[in-house]
Amino acid sequence: MKATRRQVLKAGLAASTVFSPLAISLAQSRPLKMAVLYPLTGPFAFAGQAGLEGLRDATDYFNEVRGGVGGRKVELIVEDTGYDVSRGTAAFNRIISREREDELLFVYGDSTGLSKALAPEIARLQLPYTATSFSTELADPKTYPTIFVFGPTYNDMMAALLQQIRRTKGKARVALVYSNSEFGKDPIPYVKEQAPKLGMEIVAEEVTPLAVPDATALALKLRQANPDFVICHGYVLTVEPLLLRAAREQGMQAVFMGTYYSAELALMQRAGAAADGFIVAYHNPYWYDNLASGIDQLKKFRASKGKDNNYKTTYYVGAYTSCSAIWEAYRRAGAAGKLNRAGVVESLNNMGDWDTGGLIRSLRFVNHRLPYTKLYRANVKTGRFDAITDWVTLG
Amino acid sequence: MDLSLLPQFLITGLSTGALYALITLGFVLVYRATSVVNFAIGEFLLVGAYLVYTFNVAPFNLPLPLAMLVALPVAFLFGWLIERGFVRPLLGRNVVAVIMATIGLVATLDGVAQLVWGADQKAYNGELPGQPIVLGSLVLTARSMWGIVVGIGVALLLIALLRYSRYGVMIRAVSESETAALALGINAPRMVGIVWGLSAALAALGGVLLASASGPGFHVIALGLMVFPVAILGGMDSVPGAVIAGLALGVVQALSTGYLEGSLPGITEAIPFVIVLLVLLLRPYGLFGQSRIERV
Repeated sequence: MKATRRQVLKAGLAASTVFSPLAISLAQSRPLKMAVLYPLTGPFAFAGQAGLEGLRDATDYFNEVRGGVGGRKVELIVEDTGYDVSRGTAAFNRIISREREDELLFVYGDSTGLSKALAPEIARLQLPYTATSFSTELADPKTYPTIFVFGPTYNDMMAALLQQIRRTKGKARVALVYSNSEFGKDPIPYVKEQAPKLGMEIVAEEVTPLAVPDATALALKLRQANPDFVICHGYVLTVEPLLLRAAREQGMQAVFMGTYYSAELALMQRAGAAADGFIVAYHNPYWYDNLASGIDQLKKFRASKGKDNNYKTTYYVGAYTSCSAIWEAYRRAGAAGKLNRAGVVESLNNMGDWDTGGLIRSLRFVNHRLPYTKLYRANVKTGRFDAITDWVTLG
Repeated sequence: MDLSLLPQFLITGLSTGALYALITLGFVLVYRATSVVNFAIGEFLLVGAYLVYTFNVAPFNLPLPLAMLVALPVAFLFGWLIERGFVRPLLGRNVVAVIMATIGLVATLDGVAQLVWGADQKAYNGELPGQPIVLGSLVLTARSMWGIVVGIGVALLLIALLRYSRYGVMIRAVSESETAALALGINAPRMVGIVWGLSAALAALGGVLLASASGPGFHVIALGLMVFPVAILGGMDSVPGAVIAGLALGVVQALSTGYLEGSLPGITEAIPFVIVLLVLLLRPYGLFGQSRIERV
């Protein structure tokens, strides 16, 4: 028997009437996702592994304590980039081609290099994105309206350090030491432009690879330039300890400073007494900070799951903070009936009222970055960084 | 250009170069004995640096020099096991297969190191003993002294052992011709195992000295990559060539850091390879490599 067009249409209508609620409920029970492109192996694995633990804790907390997004679970899709731009790009393409647009609402990438490489495609896909990088170029809502930096940019961190120099010495002599990488070079033009405006003189500018076998000659060049302050940037505690030791061995009295990736306690373990007084710009609380209720809450949650509460690194706390905020944006988008990529971007743009529990100053984005930081000073006796300023709000 | 800094750059370069030479010696010995290019030499440094770390922290808590001494036989065993389990089954196979296998060894050792020691940032407990010597503007740090003394000392000792000791002569015999060595009653497989063990021990020594201030970690692998230009420049199969090329490239890198990096960022990483390319154009077998005539 051959079915007529009318019979086929009727059957289709009947089927859609029966199955569409089922399809809708199935779709609603499917988890919402965030892709994570992290350096889980290679030279940045220390940050990637610690960060991933933070992301997983934030996800578990959101699902188990906060009930997900209106009952829908959230989950992470994790890929290892090995801190390699081509590997990260391939992982990104794989995820984008595989995942549904209504489920994959955010991508959490890694390096400055990878983020800059992906940025045009991110903009084209209107896909919300953040990264472990605090590159200034990424915090540009006009060009990249869906990219957010969950902290101050490297320029902001430099601005905070320059403010500190100005408070301490005024017309100071400043030396810059940075790595020959996208990461290292990012804030340098800004510093070179701002320092003279603040009455400071850049007396030396040293560029090095990300890792060096010896820093004696580098320290000697700095010593000859006789700076009051030395700002290091673009390293992950591979060059700073060598430089600090060499500088102190040569009797240099300058104050050394660094940005986010120098703000980990391992600096003091590696450089020993030479690290004393090293000043860093860092925008989350340390694990031992007992003024941040968010850290207390997290410790209780970890304890309830039988996890240890030994020291967790800055990378862990940073990833936990960003991920918690992203899930909150999902929740708000869901509550507003806009559970899609545009809805998440809209939520993030209006998160200023979110109680951060002291995990960061505020979620009020200014040009898609959070321009707030504190300055800390290394105290080798206690092995900790002590806050030397309250929150510094940058422009 | 400030020439008053030249002595300091030379000292720094010699110290780093001595460590390059030390690591490259192990690499060259392996190449001579088995014709295998060990692409995992950076990982050998990593494992060596971590082995020293293991003995340097709880529960052993050995001082750094003692931890180095204790770790050396373990590193030797590690190299010997790699040869037994990984390299020996591949000998005689297509050269591409062996190259691919050693590249596979890179990924395997990276994974194993991360699994065993974790990815977190570590630091050695304590420092290398010694006080810096300051002579005017010249500073000789304890790390530099250790680099020069251990690097050059061990390299010279190794050359002497290869030349004059019974085992050294047997290793050289195997390097020249495994078949002839076997015909003379030399236990060639044993010698090859020893060479791999020696290479791993030298890498451990180099790894820990390179990482003594920055701590053990995956960045050590990047420093270990300098072995390739040093070995190629020296001539791949030349032991004295490895020492001279190591020292030379160490000094060149230090001078580049001092005088060129500011105006040409990135030049320090590139310059060893540029020099190697230029030398190979004039001397295809490196500065001290044996030229071979191959009939096809």
